[in-house]
Amino acid sequence: MTAPARPLPALPRIGPDTAPVIALTEVGMTYPNGKVALIDVNLEVPAGDFLFLVGPSGAGKSSLIRLLVREQLPTTGRVVIAGSDLAKVRRSQVYRLRRRIGVVFQDFRLLPNKTVTENVAFALEVTGAAGDHIRDRVPRLLGLVGLHEHANHRPSQLSGGEQQRAAIARALVHDPAILIADEPTGNLDPVTSWEIVQLLIQINAMGTTVLMATRNQEVVNAMRRRVVALENGSVVRDELGAAYERGYEL
Amino acid sequence: MGFIRFLGFTLARAGQGFWRNGMMSLAATATVVLMLVLLAGLLIVLGGLDSGLNYIESKVGVTARLVDDVSAQRIEQISAEVEAVPGVAAVEYVSPDEALGRLEEAYRARGQELDTGGAEITLYASLEVALSDPEAGDEVVAALALYPEVERITTRQDQYDTLLGVIGLIRTIGLVAIVLVGLVVVFMVVNTIRIAVYSRSGEVEIMRLVGASDPFIRWPFIVEGILCGLIGAAVTVGLVALAWGPIQPLLVSVFQMPTAVSDQFLAGLAVLLVAVGLVIGALGSWISVRSNLSSAA
Ligand SMILES: Nc1ncnc2c1ncn2[C@@H]1O[C@H](COP(=O)(O)OP(=O)(O)OP(=O)(O)O)[C@@H](O)[C@H]1O
Ligand SMILES: [Mg+2]
Repeated sequence: MTAPARPLPALPRIGPDTAPVIALTEVGMTYPNGKVALIDVNLEVPAGDFLFLVGPSGAGKSSLIRLLVREQLPTTGRVVIAGSDLAKVRRSQVYRLRRRIGVVFQDFRLLPNKTVTENVAFALEVTGAAGDHIRDRVPRLLGLVGLHEHANHRPSQLSGGEQQRAAIARALVHDPAILIADEPTGNLDPVTSWEIVQLLIQINAMGTTVLMATRNQEVVNAMRRRVVALENGSVVRDELGAAYERGYEL
Repeated sequence: MGFIRFLGFTLARAGQGFWRNGMMSLAATATVVLMLVLLAGLLIVLGGLDSGLNYIESKVGVTARLVDDVSAQRIEQISAEVEAVPGVAAVEYVSPDEALGRLEEAYRARGQELDTGGAEITLYASLEVALSDPEAGDEVVAALALYPEVERITTRQDQYDTLLGVIGLIRTIGLVAIVLVGLVVVFMVVNTIRIAVYSRSGEVEIMRLVGASDPFIRWPFIVEGILCGLIGAAVTVGLVALAWGPIQPLLVSVFQMPTAVSDQFLAGLAVLLVAVGLVIGALGSWISVRSNLSSAA
C-alpha cells in the first residue's frame, strides 16, 4: 500500500514475531441486559496475520469485534491492542485506537448522499487531515480497491461489491495496522465475495493484519488460513491452515 | 495549522447544519430575536430613566422660602453657613424680582402671558441650595430649619425617590420577563441542536468509526447553536439601528440624555446584544450536545 504522507500518532509498533498486535486474555463479556456473549476467550494475533473468525449466528463474533474497537469493554479479562490495554485507554483517546484499526461491515455503512470520493475523503476530513493529503490519498486508495471509475458515484449507483470496496478504501484511510471485517461478504454473491476476499488478502500481503468474521464456509475452506471458531461465546478451535469445520477434507 | 483546519471544518459543518435544519434553526433564531428585542427595549427604557435620574440628581436641591425684609448682610451670612454643610454644592439667593422674572419666563415657555390682572405682585425671596450629594438633603433641611428667617422648606427629594422606585420596579419586572423568555430561547436551541444531532447520527457514527476526536464531533453542533444566537443578535441590532431614529430624540428630550451619551449607549447596547446572543446560543447547544451526543462510542 502507498505510504501515508503524514506519520500517524505513535502507538508502539510490534514486530511480527515479538508481541501480538491483538491479545485477548481470559476475556468474558456480558451485555447490560445480562446476555453472556463471550466466555473466557484467549486469542493472540501476531502482526501481519490473516485470521478467519468463524462460528454460527450468535456465537459472539461481532461481540468480540466490538471489544477490539472499544465499542464495549470486557466484563472480565484484558484486551490489548498494539500494546495498550483498552480498559486503560481514556475515552477521549479512543479515537487514536480507531485510527489504527480499520473496520468494514456487512452493510457497508457508506453515507448515501456522498460520492465514493467524498465518503473516503470524509474519513480524512473529520480527523483534521490537510487538503493536500486528502487529494493525494483518496485517489490512491480508490486505485488500490479498483474503484477509480466510480469515484463520483453515490452508493446507490454501485453494486454491493463496489460499495464494499468503497468501505474498504475508507477503512484504510489512516493506514491502519489492523483491518477488521465483520461478515464483509454477507450481502454479496459468491463471485463478488471472492473478489472481496482477494482484496483483503492483497491488503494483508502489504503488511496489514486482517481479521475477518464470516459464516462463508466456501471461502474459509478454500483459503486455508488460520481459523478461530467461536461457539456460544467460547473459542472451540484455533487452527492454522484450517477449514471452516473440523475434519473438513479437501 | 491543525487548529485552523479544525476551525474551518467546524464552521463549514455548522453552517451546513444550520441550512439543512432550516425551519428549526429559523424558529430558534426568531426566539433569540424576540428575547433580544425585549432586552434592548428594557435597556433603552432603563437607560432613559437612569439618565433622567442623573438629571434630577443634578437638580436636586432644597429651596428655603424667606420671610420678608431680611437684610442683605444676614442673607450673606446664612448663605455662607449653609454652604459649609457637607454635601452642599452652592447656595443661591433668589430675590422677589428674580422670582417674578422666572415665573414670567415659565409662562412664556408655555406660550402664555402672565396676567396679574393689573395688580402689583410680590413673590417671596428664597435661598436655593444645590447639592453635590443627593443623599445630603435631610441634613440641609435640618440646618435651614434652625434659622428664624426661613419660612418654608421644599425639596425635590420626593421626586428623586419616586423615580428611583420606578426604575427599580421596571428593572425587576423586566429582568424576570427576560429570564423567562431566555429559558424559552435555551429550550428552543436545545431542541434545534437535538434534531441536528439526530439527523446527522449516521455521519456521527462514521466519524467515531474512523477515529474523529471528540472536538471534531461536538463543536460543529455547538457552533450551530452559537450561529442561531449570533444571527438573532445581528437581526436585533439591525432592528434597533432602524428604530434609533425616533428613539434617540426621545432619550434626549424626555429623559434629558446628552446626545453624546446616547451614541455611546447605542454602541454599548449592540455589543451587549451580540454577547448575550452568543452566550445563550452556546449554552443551549452545549446542554443539547451534552445530553444527546454521548461521548461513549
Ligand atoms: N447489544 C446487545 N445487547 C444484548 N445482547 C446482544 C447484543 N448484541 C448481541 N447480543 C447477543 O450476544 C450474542 C452474540 O451476538 P453476536 O452479534 O456477537 O453474534 P455473531 O457471532 O456476530 O452472530 P452473527 O453471525 O449472526 O452476526 C447473541 O446471543 C446476541 O443475541
Ligand atoms: Mg455478527
